[in-house]
Amino acid sequence: MNTTNQHRRTLLKGAISASTMALVATSGLLLPQRVLAHWSTSAFNAETVEDALLALLGQAEEASTTGLNFKVGSPPSYAVNGASVPIEIQSDLKNIERIAVLVDKNPLPLALSIVPSAAVKLPFKSMIKIAEDSEVTAIIRADGQLYKTTRFVEVDIGGCA
Amino acid sequence: MGLVRKDRIRAKLKSGDTTVRILLAHPMHTGRGQNDAGDLIAAEFIQDFRCWRNKEEVLSIECGTATAANPYFSFQLIGGERGDKIAIRWVDNLGAKGTAETTVK
Repeated sequence: MNTTNQHRRTLLKGAISASTMALVATSGLLLPQRVLAHWSTSAFNAETVEDALLALLGQAEEASTTGLNFKVGSPPSYAVNGASVPIEIQSDLKNIERIAVLVDKNPLPLALSIVPSAAVKLPFKSMIKIAEDSEVTAIIRADGQLYKTTRFVEVDIGGCA
Repeated sequence: MGLVRKDRIRAKLKSGDTTVRILLAHPMHTGRGQNDAGDLIAAEFIQDFRCWRNKEEVLSIECGTATAANPYFSFQLIGGERGDKIAIRWVDNLGAKGTAETTVK
C-alpha cells in the first residue's frame, strides 16, 4: 500500500515538472518567432523606395496620385530638426488596407507601415526621422489600388543618427 | 537617469468619434548613431505596435528605424463611447515589450 502510494507521488511529480518545463520552453522559444513574423524584415531593410514597396506590397507601379492628402513638416515642406518631423495623412478612400510612409534619401527608406481596421478614421499623425533634404512619399493601398503622394522636405539638421 | 520612462495614451470622445493620442517612451536607436565616446549605439527600435478597443484589434503599425524617437501616433476611431477601454502594446527588435491602457473620456 505504502509503496504504491510513493510510486504514485513520484509519477505525479515527474508529470508536473515535465509539463512546467514544456511550458517554459514553448513560451521562451515561440515568442521571438511570433514577434519576428509580424515585422516585414525585407521591406524595412530595403535600401530604395522601389525595393521597399515591392517587398511590402508586391507592387510599386500604377499608382494614382489623387485621393490622398499628405502633409510633412511644420510649416509644411520644411523641418528645423530632421529627428522628429511631423507628418499627417488624410484621405477619403474606403477599404484602406495599408498605409506606408517612405523617405527617399534615408539609408533605410521605409518609416512606417500602418494597417488600419475599418474602425480607424484618418487623419493619422505621427513623427518620422529625415536624414537630409528629401522626397517623402505616402502610399495608401485601398481595394488593391495604390495611391501615392510625394512631398519634398527641406531639413536644417539631419536626423537619422 | 531620473526621468520616468512611461508610455502615455489619451483617448477622448469628440463629436461621436474617439480621438486617440499615443506617446511611447522609446529611444529608437537606428544602429548608426554614436555616443559621446564615438562608439556606435546598437540598434534598438520598436518594430510592432498594436492597438485594441475593448479587446478588438483596431490598428497595427510596423515601425522602421526612420520612426522618430519617442514615437507619437494620433488617429481617430469611428464611434465609441465613454468608458471604452483602449489598450496598446509594442515590441522592439530586442524583444522588449510595453503595454498601456486607458479609458475613453
